[in-house]
Amino acid sequence: MLYRTAGQFKTSYAADHALFPVKQDAWLLMIILFVAFVVFPLTASEFTINALLVPVLIYSLAALGLNILTGYAGQLSLGTGAFMGVGAYACYKLITIFPEMNIVIAIALSGFFSAAVGVAFGLPSLRIKGFYLAIATLAAQFFLVWLFEKWAWLYNYAASGAIQVPNIEMFGFTVAGPGASPVTKYYFVLIVVTLITWLAINITRGRIGRMWKSVRDMDIAAELVGINLMRAKLSAFAVSSYIVGVSGALFVFLWRGAAEPNLFDIPLSFRVLFIAIIGGLGSILGNYLGAILIVALPVIIGTLPAFFGLSISSSTVEHMIVGATIILFLIIEPHGLARFWQIIREKLIMWPFPH
Amino acid sequence: MTNYKTALLGAALVACTAHVAPAMAQDQLNLPNFTYRTGPFATSGIPLANGQLDYLTMLNERDGGLNGVKLNGEECETGYNTEKGVECYEKFKANTLVIQPWSTGITLQVLPKANVDKVPVFAAGYGFSAMQDGQTFQWAFNPPSSYWDGASILLNTIADGNLDNLKGKKVALLHLDHPYGKEPIPLLEEYAKKHGFTLLPIPVGLKEMQNQSAQWLQIRREKPDFVLMWGWGAMNGGALTEAAKTGYPMNQFLGIWWSGHDADLKLVGDKGKGYRAVSFSFPNSQSKSMQDIKKLVVDAGKSKIDAASGEFDTVFYQRGVILSAIMVEAASAAQKNFNAKTLNAEQFRWGLQNVKFDQARLTELGLDGMVVPFSTSCQNHTGHGGGWIIEWDGAKFVKASDEIKQADRATIDALAAVKAKEYADANQPWATQTCQ
Repeated sequence: MLYRTAGQFKTSYAADHALFPVKQDAWLLMIILFVAFVVFPLTASEFTINALLVPVLIYSLAALGLNILTGYAGQLSLGTGAFMGVGAYACYKLITIFPEMNIVIAIALSGFFSAAVGVAFGLPSLRIKGFYLAIATLAAQFFLVWLFEKWAWLYNYAASGAIQVPNIEMFGFTVAGPGASPVTKYYFVLIVVTLITWLAINITRGRIGRMWKSVRDMDIAAELVGINLMRAKLSAFAVSSYIVGVSGALFVFLWRGAAEPNLFDIPLSFRVLFIAIIGGLGSILGNYLGAILIVALPVIIGTLPAFFGLSISSSTVEHMIVGATIILFLIIEPHGLARFWQIIREKLIMWPFPH
Repeated sequence: MTNYKTALLGAALVACTAHVAPAMAQDQLNLPNFTYRTGPFATSGIPLANGQLDYLTMLNERDGGLNGVKLNGEECETGYNTEKGVECYEKFKANTLVIQPWSTGITLQVLPKANVDKVPVFAAGYGFSAMQDGQTFQWAFNPPSSYWDGASILLNTIADGNLDNLKGKKVALLHLDHPYGKEPIPLLEEYAKKHGFTLLPIPVGLKEMQNQSAQWLQIRREKPDFVLMWGWGAMNGGALTEAAKTGYPMNQFLGIWWSGHDADLKLVGDKGKGYRAVSFSFPNSQSKSMQDIKKLVVDAGKSKIDAASGEFDTVFYQRGVILSAIMVEAASAAQKNFNAKTLNAEQFRWGLQNVKFDQARLTELGLDGMVVPFSTSCQNHTGHGGGWIIEWDGAKFVKASDEIKQADRATIDALAAVKAKEYADANQPWATQTCQ
């Protein structure tokens, strides 16, 4: 009843394979986009934008990148944090070497650097699989963070060893750096994330996406039906690392404002991996749900005790509740939040006459 | 129907998130603190946070706050994580007098933002050394001494007052591989060039803090004449145990004030005898303020202190007290000047520029001998109080001498001016102030 599909007839194959075969889905997306583009910027406080909305979007993007590699192409990676770092450092170098460069172009280009690094470290995936590949990407993680620390050229020989974002203007607006207004940064991130998500949806449900999925499900069978494994795996590494690199550039330039090398260390990789796993491997929506759970929920919970006038240390509450929630969700739905939503949606379609 | 309900749900969600903004009352003096009571740096972070909070609690208990206005020392846990630091900054910035980042990494992040948002950053004894330049860093303060002051005092100590004595010697800098640990390097390099000694920076990664065998192997091989340490948290204990194990002479091993922590030295006990550190503060449990804290806060059970371990008498706990005292002094100066009870950030900034901690004032406040006397001004945001050399006698820190050592101003001020300008240029447009 809520999700009534009766009466929505498809008269062509194209209509049947449209992005939203059910009208309500499209409506829901419109509402979400409306909220994200219009309602949030108008109503959200500065704290909400800087501590909730922007990080959720950036982490979602990073998880989306990882999900393409791990969820769609089945190649486990533990190097996401380092690939984000490559994007961030590349963007920093581009901006400092060419100060006139448009920030959009710099961010778009920095993705290519991390894509190249990702492909290089993805080469072992041609010979090894599963946990062994995870170890190879772990090597990338350690090596790259070490490189960020030792290669002083990367941070322009700054005494602190950290990179700092200058004020960057675009068409007369300050879009990045300390002088940028939170709403501007939010719109910038939102537009980039929306665009890449749209691209990712279409890649993953098209020819390339099906190629990745077949490699994930059984690579020998995929090879037998004529899929070039090398091309499939390396393209997954390239696309994934590109998105992760862009998210890394956004992470530092549009949110943090400064970064030291150990920021990109393994905890960041794990965090992104958790988002992808809890959100649901092999789904696009899951990255957003996962990021909301892992990134936003602790912040919201952290402010609750004060809201109710309790004097419990918020960090205690945070660790306990967030930990319990993650375990609870994994027990209820091991396939992630995206699958959870799918079940709810199916039930809604049936309701009130389940069979 | 569907859309109606979803819209309702969406509106509820929006309403929720829009109000996720922590509120602090306006009718008190908000001096919130970024703490790390968890994580690898908790050993250093806990006593400092306790000391800071307990001084404010004591004033609230004893005097009902400052001139009748309650002091609020709300904490935000960062775990030394720069990401949480941003969140805490966003949480506090709208309604606070001050930001205390408690990490050079977080300072790096909030410094440019604070200059735009007009919030004073109080990074006592840490942060950027170039922050001393009050005209450039109008919103940042690092009293009573900067890292470069500390580095200069340490060098003077090992050189017996004449840096030319170091000619041909080798000085190792064992430092945390983090913005904090790298802070003294530019100054030390300059001295090394000028006075002909070899500087050997030995970084300790965040992952190697507890196990520094590689670094100490290097020290054994290179045999430096002196080892200076810029350590924090678990790194201090790791270095001291390694030094004791490898038998490095403790009288050639010196640390900055954050490496002079009782709990770390207790790990090596007698074997740490002779280890020295420079410190701008020193514990004095008999002072009036400390006695009041003991009576009104600790014994009344209002403190988070671990009384059984003797934390009350340690350098770090009482340094926390001092840091809060500096802020309260700034607030009281501002109250007097603006003839107001509650303050805004701009007024508090004026207060931080006008802290006069001379001997008489310290006695009046009941803080005798707990901090080096100093005063800040519009141009000088550090105060440059210098520091004592404190020495571990096997059970506690004692003053190696009563003399307060001063840093070499000429070299530091010149370098600070250069670095401050570099910073401002890299962060254009950067708002500065002009002092009379």
